[in-house]
Amino acid sequence: MKRTPVGGLLILGTMALAMIGPILTVILWAFAVKWRYPHILPTEWGMKFWFGMLGRETIITPVLTSLALTSIATSAAALICWPAAYAFARLKFPGRQLMLFSFIAAQAVPKFALFVSIAVIFLRLGLVGSFWGVALVQMLSAVLYMIWIPTAAFRGIPPALEEAAFDLGASRLRVFLQITLPQALPALAASYVLAFVSILFEVDGALLIGAPTVTTMPLLLMSLSAQVIVQEAAVLCVLIWVPCFILLLLTRRFMTAKGIAQGFGA
Amino acid sequence: MIRFATKSGGHTPGQQQRTGPGQEALAGLALVALPVALLLTLTLWPTVTMVVSTFLVDGQVNASRYVYFFSDAYSLANLRYTMEQGLVSALSALAISFGIALYLRFSAGRIATMIHALSLFPLFVPSIIISYALVRFLGPNGLFQLLLEQVGFTHYRTPYLTPVGPFLAFVWEALPLPVLVLSAGLTQVSDHAVEAARDLGAGPFRILWEVLLPQVRRSLLIAFALIFLGIIGAYTVPYMLGPAAPEMMGVFMQRTLGNLHDADAAQVQAVVLMVISSVVGGFYIATMLKSQGGER
Amino acid sequence: MLQIDTISKAFAGTPAVREVSFTVERGELVCLLGPSGCGKSTLLRVISGLTDADSGSIRIEGADMTRAAANRRPTAMVFQSHALWSHMTVAQNVGFGLRVRGLPKAEIAEKVGAVLDLVGLSAYGKRLPAELSGGQAQRVALARCLVVEPKVLLMDEPFSALDAHLRKSLREELKSLQRRLDLTTIFVTHDQEEAMELADRIVVMQAGRLEQFAAPGSLYRNPQTLGVAQFIGAMNTCTTTVSLGQANWYGQPLRLALPDGEAALLCRPEDLYTDPRGARARVTRVIDLGPVTKVSLMTADGDLLTWTCPREAAPDVDAEITLMPRRLHAFRDGALLAQIERPEPALLEGVPA
Repeated sequence: MKRTPVGGLLILGTMALAMIGPILTVILWAFAVKWRYPHILPTEWGMKFWFGMLGRETIITPVLTSLALTSIATSAAALICWPAAYAFARLKFPGRQLMLFSFIAAQAVPKFALFVSIAVIFLRLGLVGSFWGVALVQMLSAVLYMIWIPTAAFRGIPPALEEAAFDLGASRLRVFLQITLPQALPALAASYVLAFVSILFEVDGALLIGAPTVTTMPLLLMSLSAQVIVQEAAVLCVLIWVPCFILLLLTRRFMTAKGIAQGFGA
Repeated sequence: MIRFATKSGGHTPGQQQRTGPGQEALAGLALVALPVALLLTLTLWPTVTMVVSTFLVDGQVNASRYVYFFSDAYSLANLRYTMEQGLVSALSALAISFGIALYLRFSAGRIATMIHALSLFPLFVPSIIISYALVRFLGPNGLFQLLLEQVGFTHYRTPYLTPVGPFLAFVWEALPLPVLVLSAGLTQVSDHAVEAARDLGAGPFRILWEVLLPQVRRSLLIAFALIFLGIIGAYTVPYMLGPAAPEMMGVFMQRTLGNLHDADAAQVQAVVLMVISSVVGGFYIATMLKSQGGER
Repeated sequence: MLQIDTISKAFAGTPAVREVSFTVERGELVCLLGPSGCGKSTLLRVISGLTDADSGSIRIEGADMTRAAANRRPTAMVFQSHALWSHMTVAQNVGFGLRVRGLPKAEIAEKVGAVLDLVGLSAYGKRLPAELSGGQAQRVALARCLVVEPKVLLMDEPFSALDAHLRKSLREELKSLQRRLDLTTIFVTHDQEEAMELADRIVVMQAGRLEQFAAPGSLYRNPQTLGVAQFIGAMNTCTTTVSLGQANWYGQPLRLALPDGEAALLCRPEDLYTDPRGARARVTRVIDLGPVTKVSLMTADGDLLTWTCPREAAPDVDAEITLMPRRLHAFRDGALLAQIERPEPALLEGVPA
């Protein structure tokens, strides 16, 4: 079954082109001042478009809106989901398995169709086009990360760690704050980052609930991508995505086969 | 430690045992109440309301809106295209990732590590970014065309705005999950099991079919369901890369609701999509319950 | 010092500990010994307060602790998994109990230093648990308990995850430390040798019950229940029926002053001796273990016997020899009937087989 390195290199080359090629193109465009057919690389480099964009209100406002929306939705989701994750992992109560499972089952609902139904209700409630309406639906995108990763993390803390502290005289609150929480912290942080990035780039909810009054960064990106000037969308992509990519890399150890498979129940 | 924990009654730590079971249940329910409420108000409630309202026409209960949908050639074309796009893209993604997982299973070293890392890359790239990047990469006069022309190939026809565009994006996005799950599943087949099969005269195809595939069958099914559901409910990818007609259901619904302001028609489209999804989704949930039941 | 009084505990209706009572003296090391699932770990957790007893009481130095939570009891527990907190250094781990007690920083540092010195890890204070070997981690876990000066130290199979060699040396270390500090200690183990070497007295548990509470040698020589007799050391077990003061022992009738009925007659391998009046058996195997020789035998009825004897007394394989017991432990319904020294063969023929 062992293949020659030639086969491996061929696969690697194809993969590299397919996986990196598209993103590379965008990065090249972001730093290109002139790139005309049929040159394989930009003929003039620079960050001219970066400075041009950064002063424009039509660019700044959506980016700030997105950052505010994402921070609020992610933090609110964390606030309600992390304690719930602790309960799912550590407490016994009726309906626990069913409720925990409903969070995975919600994955099977087509999101866009669901947002259509929410949009119709929000239309009646006057929430369409409102900042808080968007924040509410975007919280939904965070819930899966915010429930599953922390629940698995709390479950993974051996009870003996907490018992040892309790046994040495610590109060229950102290055990939670000084033992349980620090032990779960990396996983909690990872769930926050994953949820944050997925909300930041969320399109469906923002489009159906927010447009046209609330313009988020991804919606701006969509409208910029239809423009003649290629660079502006490319700059926005690089500007927002690269920091997120670095943040996501930090959460890599929670993106193992086991972690992901658990999240999706595979 | 596991034995220790079970002896003392499951994974409930000692400090909870002092509070009564009733108190614990109350605390648990209180802590999960908010996210469960959020889930119910934002999924169950709108869904039920929507299904009911699609059957209410001017205060009368009838299915005329569905009759319209299923007699409208354009709606049907969109639905059919969505299903085809989902099926072809999901199956292709599975086939490719199975190939990659097989390669990873039987090779080691730097090349395998790099292939593994590359196949996980899409986990870190949001849908909107890759859609835009593919437009720039594969589009007319894009980098891919430029590269092909460098090696003398001048007959490139861009997949941009054809069904191939979304197909490539869907496959690109879908790779990590099956690669992770399948390569984890395949490592459970020991080298000895493969060698034993070969010793008994099994060819590579038979080994694949009878030794390797059964090990990952359930993972394959779950991965297929998840990928397929993701694709038929997608908006960004077909909007950015797909053809103007036929449309995928996401784009169709958005245009019906956002541009034509026909909420009733959009809801009917959403219900149709949900019903189809619930068949696949129900199967996904059943498979998952079975695998969880096996664990507990 | 520590009084355990008729403690019972059940999990979901399944009893784990049944009416166990015993008293531990100050400075004593008591082992809870028994097969896995016998309730010894549960009993330890009940003593620590991590698990509530269903009934019974626990007193430490006369004070009733039955209703006190684990964090209010003067006990400290070393876990099998060492349960060190991976986000704290060794010194922070050890100092935790003192920080909980609100001691000033300087005093904490001083005490932590002293106790790390005691367990021979004074240079490891700044390390993280992940950088320790299994033996070192378990020593830190011990130090973490010692530093709070518990009235009772509880240890739940602390060495069972370690390899045999390390286990032995840690055992020695613990014993000398415990003597030096005059620490009242309860030590849970399923390892007989460990219990015999460490303990001043041993509580043998089986199916949640206390079978016997005695010094190691006494457990071996005078087992009070069939369970203890079969669990501690090797035994040749012969199940027979006593009738009119006689019983068939491996085909040889013996005169036994026992009441009529079923009885299990147990004999240690070293308590057998050759005697022409004894039970007849064929030698199947002879193993020279060095200090003693182990002889495996089979009786005419197919029962298996083990005899340990000095090397020079060992018979050849396939030899037919006759054996008598020097001492028999007779049990009925699991309880000791009598311990019989030098039983005599019955001379009358026709005893029931």
